[in-house]
Amino acid sequence: MDDLERVLRAHPFLAELEPEHVKFLVGCTKNVRFHAGEHLMREGDREDTLYLIRHGVVAIEMPRAGGAAVCIETLGDGDVLGVSLLTPAAAHLDCRARDSVVALAIDNACLLGKMTEDPRLGFAISMRLLERTYQRLSRARLQHLDIYR
Amino acid sequence: MTTTSSYLPAAMAIARSVRELADVFTWTFEVPNGFAFKPGQFNMLYVHGVGEVPISISGDPATPERLIHTIRAVGTVTRMMGKLGEGDVMGVRGPYGSAWPLDQAKRRNVIVIAGGLGLAPLRPAILELLANRADYGQVTVLYGARTPDDILYRKELETWRGRFDVRVEAIVDRAGRDWFGPVGVVTRLLDGVPVTPDDAAFVCGPEIMMRFAVRELENRGVARDATWISMERSMKCGIGLCGHCQLAGSFMCKDGPVYRFDRIAPYMQVREL
Repeated sequence: MDDLERVLRAHPFLAELEPEHVKFLVGCTKNVRFHAGEHLMREGDREDTLYLIRHGVVAIEMPRAGGAAVCIETLGDGDVLGVSLLTPAAAHLDCRARDSVVALAIDNACLLGKMTEDPRLGFAISMRLLERTYQRLSRARLQHLDIYR
Repeated sequence: MTTTSSYLPAAMAIARSVRELADVFTWTFEVPNGFAFKPGQFNMLYVHGVGEVPISISGDPATPERLIHTIRAVGTVTRMMGKLGEGDVMGVRGPYGSAWPLDQAKRRNVIVIAGGLGLAPLRPAILELLANRADYGQVTVLYGARTPDDILYRKELETWRGRFDVRVEAIVDRAGRDWFGPVGVVTRLLDGVPVTPDDAAFVCGPEIMMRFAVRELENRGVARDATWISMERSMKCGIGLCGHCQLAGSFMCKDGPVYRFDRIAPYMQVREL
């Protein structure tokens, strides 16, 4: 548990989170590893896990007919996957480990419970999710402009 | 290149033409000894009977006798250029404009951020940085392209990447599974780069990309007066007389195309300017 707490605290997503809040999250968290080619989630899956990527590369892919997929973004060390925690959404893209990926998997239902129980934690996590969502939206908009054409 | 007037192009035959991408090609002219240019400068290239366009010089400043231009066929003149080949004669005048401030960057880390065809005006600067590697701190080249098939100078990027004294990263907007590099916007590459406030940054690419890149550099502490960008506007005379490329009190062909960002930033946010 101590080790998990240390790893949680070291992840950029949780930087400067109150120590007692980090402790609070330990019970919702487990260390996970994905081998190259494994999917963290697939289109249509319920997003029941928030992944804090520690090491490795995750390809966010749009699956296409015939098995081909278009990668629209890669995420790496320090990134977060499953940011739709606050809405009961289903994944709209595939998320595939491109190489060996080590992550912290936080159970969304458990996390939401803790956020409800402690509104200060809820605010802190919501603000972080909002920041990551905004950053991703900005990047997606820039890509959408297809500026190199 | 010697002409009797700034307006008078020298007739030059294309010595070599190489297809870089579907709509991008690189020409080499062999010019007389004595021609010199600074990285970042451009020439006016004239297609007889069609028109004249400003094109950045993308060759090696150490071998100015091999004058190199990389061109995208995108307008009336450049599309016509795409139909020309080795042996065809062009009108060439220049070089014009300001240059990347390589002297000011000496002893500092240099971050080069290029997007799409923006790598072409930066190539001479990168070659000079690498040729005088000991004069600079860490050198980082970050390049963004649309897809892996749209990466300009791919072999050369791979060669640079093979060196131990320069960091080179490329990212694409989208890719299939045969691409093993990162996917996303070029500014994502800054996440893995140690940046200090004393670093110098050279940025060239689509204007939107440059604005994003400068913002990200600022977020990491690189000041606007330590960041230079290369601007593109409709240039005609090349010597600051006709006013086509005027931006407020500045003529891009004469005072630019390379500007220190703090000097050009106020005008970049003026709509319709």
